Amino acid sequence: MAQHGGPQQRIFSPLRTALHRFAFILLIFSAFGLMLLGKADTVLIERIRAASADLVSPVMNIVSRPAASINELTDKIYNLAHLYEENERLRRENQHLLAWQQAARNLSHENARLRDLAGYTSPPALHLVTSRVIADMGGAYAHSVMISAGSRDGVSKGQAVISDEGLVGRVAEAGYQASRVLLITDINSRVPVVVENSRDRAFLSGDNTNRPLLTFLTADAAVAPGDRILTSGHGGAFPPGIPIGVVSSVSENAVRVAPMFRRHQLEYLRVADYGLHGILSNERIQQSQSANNENTVDVSPDIPDGVGIVPATPDPAGEAQ
Amino acid sequence: MKPGVWQRLDIIARGLLPAFSVFVLLLINLLPISVPLLSTASPALALMAVFYWSVNRPDLLTGVTAFLLGLLQDLLMGLPLGVSSLVLLLVQTGSASQGRFFHNKPFSVMWWGFALVAIPALLVQWLLSSALIGALLPIKATLISYVLTAVLFPTVAWVLARAQNSLLRYV
Repeated sequence: MAQHGGPQQRIFSPLRTALHRFAFILLIFSAFGLMLLGKADTVLIERIRAASADLVSPVMNIVSRPAASINELTDKIYNLAHLYEENERLRRENQHLLAWQQAARNLSHENARLRDLAGYTSPPALHLVTSRVIADMGGAYAHSVMISAGSRDGVSKGQAVISDEGLVGRVAEAGYQASRVLLITDINSRVPVVVENSRDRAFLSGDNTNRPLLTFLTADAAVAPGDRILTSGHGGAFPPGIPIGVVSSVSENAVRVAPMFRRHQLEYLRVADYGLHGILSNERIQQSQSANNENTVDVSPDIPDGVGIVPATPDPAGEAQ
Repeated sequence: MKPGVWQRLDIIARGLLPAFSVFVLLLINLLPISVPLLSTASPALALMAVFYWSVNRPDLLTGVTAFLLGLLQDLLMGLPLGVSSLVLLLVQTGSASQGRFFHNKPFSVMWWGFALVAIPALLVQWLLSSALIGALLPIKATLISYVLTAVLFPTVAWVLARAQNSLLRYV
């Protein structure tokens, strides 16, 4: 453009700057429009996010391998340096664990027999999908990782994600071949939990620090540093009894929990399909949103059904009278 | 002289280099790195590249490109949509208009310039993200992220300068 110069330049250059300015203002407005759209949290945004995860996952899958091998190398060097201490520690731990194994065997036999006696219905079996962490997203503003498993492997939104140590987070968006996992330390994360010893219920709320908070704890709850925190299984989102962390500090206004996992060492994660589709399944969300409408609409067709089923108990009472 | 198809393709590919370099840096930002500090606060690599190209080749990295790259960053990192778009767009527009100031000056001037630009950029990102999430995000992670961003800028700028000198000299 600049090479042509001449009268054209003089006529159109104000127009061009005006157009540029207009484009700039338009982009600013569309940025704010996007913020509003994202705040509305539509299914569309979620799909786009999942698609973008799918888009980069083949690249990340390859590129994260060298990174993982570099990490392995540094780990090896560290381990060599600490071989003797590690061995001693493992020997002690092994002794300890053997004693626990005996206890666990006795208890599981006893438990099985008691369950037989009580006619206990066991919870649904756990289906696990193992996958690799291919990206660590967010940094300062969000705590999430990308894993190399998606709807292709049976992963869907809301499922619990666990590491060797314990609960890591939940699936936030599931693409076809990759998914985003929202860590329990993220500010958007809320997990129903129970304190192992006292069985006090609470929520574990992330706040983008490495130590999430215990919220909605009752005033008389007995929580002390060192107490283990487990998932409670309420709401059907997570399997109950998965270890999450240990209470690290208790103060007047905040109880903080140290999670079992360390974010920078996450490598392989398992996605637990509990068969309940989680609390976040679209069906449930739709049900809760359209509950009022359904009730008003379904009143008339529901009555003939209800007559057969609902009065089943009052009927004998009526006959008796 | 009329350039052939391949030559034209070559020119287009070279013209896309700045945007592509920002995309690559975005992916590098996503790599799981087993350093405790980097997992909670990562350097804003895309911001560095957008600043560098806006100063040196504003014709090849326009506001629209910066906006789209910001959108991609938000989508990939699970951040509130639109925040990075706005920040990168503002940085692009601001640095492109002040680009002349940095020409024919030693690199340290550009470094200082970037360190100054990064403060409001990260501050706006922190404020808007906090507002959209509805809770104050810990400022400590943002501070660490800022220091990392400012310290690592020369390394990234050096790589980008190498790419610019070898591939974009005649475009």
